[in-house]
Amino acid sequence: MSTIRILLADDHNVMRRGLSALLERQEGFSVVAEAADGREAVELALAVKPEVVVIDIAMPNLNGIEAARRIHEKRPETAIVILSMHADEGYVLRALNAGARGYLLKDSPEEDLIRAIRAAHAGKAFFSPEISRMLAEDYMRQMRQRGVEDSYELLTPREREVLQMLAEGNSNKDLATKLGLSLYTVETHRANVLEKLNLHSSAEMILYAVRKGIVT
Amino acid sequence: MRLFQRQSRTVLFIGFGGLLALMVFAGVDGLRVLRRMQDRSGSIQREFLERGRVLNQIRSDVYLSGTYARDYLLDPGRSAADRSKTELRRLRREMDATLANYAQLMRPEEREPLEGLRRNLNEYWQALDPVLLWGADQRRGSGYAFVRDVVIPRRRAMLSLADEIDEVNRRQVSTGNARLTDLFSEFRYRLIVTLMLTLALGSLLAVFATRRILALESQTTSQYTEVTEARGQLRSLSARLVKTQEEERRALSRELHDEVGQSLSAILVGLSNLVGATPAEVRSLVEREAAPLRRLVEGNVRTVRNLTLLLRPSMLDDLGLIPALEWQGREASRHSGLRVDISAEAVSDELPEELKTCVYRVVQEALTNVARHAEAQSVRIVVQQETARLLLSIQDDGRGFDIARSKGLGLLGMEERVRGMTGSLHVRSETGMGTLISVVLPLRTHPRGNE
Ligand SMILES: Nc1ncnc2c1ncn2[C@@H]1O[C@H](COP(=O)(O)OP(=O)(O)OP(=O)(O)O)[C@@H](O)[C@H]1O
Ligand SMILES: [Mg+2]
Repeated sequence: MSTIRILLADDHNVMRRGLSALLERQEGFSVVAEAADGREAVELALAVKPEVVVIDIAMPNLNGIEAARRIHEKRPETAIVILSMHADEGYVLRALNAGARGYLLKDSPEEDLIRAIRAAHAGKAFFSPEISRMLAEDYMRQMRQRGVEDSYELLTPREREVLQMLAEGNSNKDLATKLGLSLYTVETHRANVLEKLNLHSSAEMILYAVRKGIVT
Repeated sequence: MRLFQRQSRTVLFIGFGGLLALMVFAGVDGLRVLRRMQDRSGSIQREFLERGRVLNQIRSDVYLSGTYARDYLLDPGRSAADRSKTELRRLRREMDATLANYAQLMRPEEREPLEGLRRNLNEYWQALDPVLLWGADQRRGSGYAFVRDVVIPRRRAMLSLADEIDEVNRRQVSTGNARLTDLFSEFRYRLIVTLMLTLALGSLLAVFATRRILALESQTTSQYTEVTEARGQLRSLSARLVKTQEEERRALSRELHDEVGQSLSAILVGLSNLVGATPAEVRSLVEREAAPLRRLVEGNVRTVRNLTLLLRPSMLDDLGLIPALEWQGREASRHSGLRVDISAEAVSDELPEELKTCVYRVVQEALTNVARHAEAQSVRIVVQQETARLLLSIQDDGRGFDIARSKGLGLLGMEERVRGMTGSLHVRSETGMGTLISVVLPLRTHPRGNE
């Protein structure tokens, strides 16, 4: 297994060094660059071309989410994992919209960070379990309070499959190949899923999948 | 001030009292004079009539006596002569009595004609006395001559005296009338004087009262301005207070988050590294020591995170108003099981800092109240942006309350915040009907705290 090249961005020196040491200790991980603010992170990400960017939200000059958005715009193949103090849906959605694949609380245990980086590198979403649980609970409670039937029941088995695979980070093309369908059919399925669930973006779809516990 | 008040009270008392007394006096005096004039004119009338009656009596008695004297002298019959003679005697007594009566009513000016009358009458009676002793022949012989030479001239003289007295009496009436006129003009004079006095006193009083009223009015105006100013200052002070508090919270929140929170996270990572770096044979030992430390730090991280959010939610700055409200709604829902619906219409991401904070804090307090007091099932929060203003409403389906009765710091604080942004806040609630809080915030005006 080849090493995963990582860019680490955090304005807190001790934190950054600690993370760096932690990641370096893992087999197959290599921290290739470190940035102390958002702008530096963008520059280094474009210059060094890491496979995974682990980035803190609260940073001077440019916050982590904005930096993630710029990195994602310039190099969409970069997997981005957000580190955050905030266990809130608003931030998660914002991060997903910016193109991040993982969202991790800063006080997560070591294993979660490693899993998040592996998942992101593999093109999959990953959230701190605390966050997944919170999202799922909030969602369930809302459904209960509103007394509405979950529109998930409206999806056909094929659509559910498409939803899960997309939420796990597969592209439309991946789906077409894996399911033996035409790209057009996959796109139609995706559009139907969004329509039936009243979602408007891939980010919302991922969030939905997390809420439903379809992905973690 | 106090002294001034007492002085003016005294002046007003004396002034109005004097005016009243003057009017009462004028009224009573006028009535008295009128009564006197009426009496006087009555007595003049009465006296005049009385004298007239007496004089007429005298006059008719004079006539009568002449007639009897003539009958006595010229009547040949004996019995007729005797009757006339008795009548004459009776008349004489009567006339004496009438004259004596008149003497009592007499005025000094009448003395002379009255004396004349009396004298004449006496002489008349004296002339007549011997005649009454005459026999029938003597009467027949010189009766006629006596009538012509004595009776008729005397009678004429007496009548003319009576006329004179009558004349005096008439003059007397006009003198009485003149005196009445004098009385009347005196009354008029007094009336004018009292009127003038009343007018003067009234004018003085009016001037004084007007000046006092104007002074009081200007005093009131200046006091009102002072109060208004003070209130404005109070308000701007409280707005500044709110702002300062908010700034402090934000600074504290940042500090907690950036320094304490980050350091704690770093410690966690450091702990992991420490355990990871220990040789395998002692690792479990170190791990055992590290585990409680890690839990402790994790607990602290959570505490710091909650404190940070309580002080000032970073979403407000990082994500904007609506995501921050949504977070709040989820929090409330998580803690109290409330259903919170938030709908936002055309709300811009670029709202002024203070406006966002204001809306956020109002919603925060409202949600706290709902959770604490309302026993509600659901809350609906609507934020709506119009061209010049932002509308906010928070409505619950709880048990409601009596607005007039309960107003704690929470509601007051909300109002204060909104007013600090020159907005307005209304609470509508009734027991059993839920509660609606609606807020209107102008978008362009500067908050008062900045002035
Ligand atoms: N949504 C509501 N439903 C029912 N009652 C309410 C509601 N909001 C306020 N009240 C009543 O009004 C009172 C005043 O509320 P307010 O927020 O001013 O003070 P408080 O909540 O009692 O104290 P605090 O100063 O801590 O906020 C409350 O005690 C409660 O009785
Ligand atoms: Mg309250």
